[in-house]
Amino acid sequence: MMWAFLASDVMFFGAFIATYLVYRGKSLVGPYPSEILDIPLTSVSTFVLLVSSLAMVLGLHYVKEGQKNKATLWILAVVILGAIFMGFQFYEFREFAHEGLTPRTNIFGTTFFILTGIHGAHVTIGVFWMAFMAYSSHTGALRQDNALDLEIAGLYWHFVDIVWIVIFTVIYLISFSDGPPPGVGPTIVH
Amino acid sequence: MANLWQKLTHHDGNGWWNLPHNKSNELNPEYEGPIGGAWFGNLWRTLTYGGVSHASAGFYWLVGFVLAIITLLELWLFTVETLGGWFIPILLLLSVGKFIGVVAYFMHLRFDHRMFTWFFASAMIVGILIFSLLLFLAENAHQKPLF
Repeated sequence: MMWAFLASDVMFFGAFIATYLVYRGKSLVGPYPSEILDIPLTSVSTFVLLVSSLAMVLGLHYVKEGQKNKATLWILAVVILGAIFMGFQFYEFREFAHEGLTPRTNIFGTTFFILTGIHGAHVTIGVFWMAFMAYSSHTGALRQDNALDLEIAGLYWHFVDIVWIVIFTVIYLISFSDGPPPGVGPTIVH
Repeated sequence: MANLWQKLTHHDGNGWWNLPHNKSNELNPEYEGPIGGAWFGNLWRTLTYGGVSHASAGFYWLVGFVLAIITLLELWLFTVETLGGWFIPILLLLSVGKFIGVVAYFMHLRFDHRMFTWFFASAMIVGILIFSLLLFLAENAHQKPLF
């Protein structure tokens, strides 16, 4: 059932990523991606999410081995790393707003905030789910015989990670050089 | 019916990605330990097989390390100014590598029945086709109709 949900979520995110690509470079007013995106900062947050996926598989591994304390620790690490990622996203959104980019500023702002915002909502749900799993592991409710519960939660978490891998590549790395259209000057002068 | 139930619930290692070839390719395998055979084969099997149908913790660390290296490589490429037109294809290739790493090993499609891989891949294929068509139409919307 989880694979069916993930297959539908592929289409869901695919639609927003395709929309971003269709409207890429079509903004008539700034700020533009080249003026506002912070690659080093986002690389750190990408790395954090990647490490959280590693923590997730290790948590599942130790649940299956019946090592409760190690399992709880790694699942808790997923919660903390997920929360750190959300913190990065909150900081980035706030900085963008200070620079003058909101969902209503231009087409880049609209497509960017919707895509990354929906991903952020997925991460938020995942963090609460993992927090519940960590609590279940701590109390002993999550055991070897019902490790499938964590496995399903893990599939969701890894999916959120792979979606970010695509978003990071498409929005941050590939679109970083997107500036103003020909004949229009930069919006932000550093 | 029993056959279908076994396909749905048992691990038979009939995965889509058969790399690395390890003990989990066998039907409900039991751990045999690094005894017999070539030393490298045993080392690889010990590293990749944790005694259950999934990989060992060591193997997951290895995958995580490789994914981290790819991420660092992406960052480094970002600072290289001589790539020109190769920049985007290389980034996409690295991104696909990370994507497959997470899906095949962290989401353990590699260790599951290939039915799940087809399930996930079919959505990917349909999605990519539909959205490629959307991009094509959007790019050519300003041109005169063919007919």
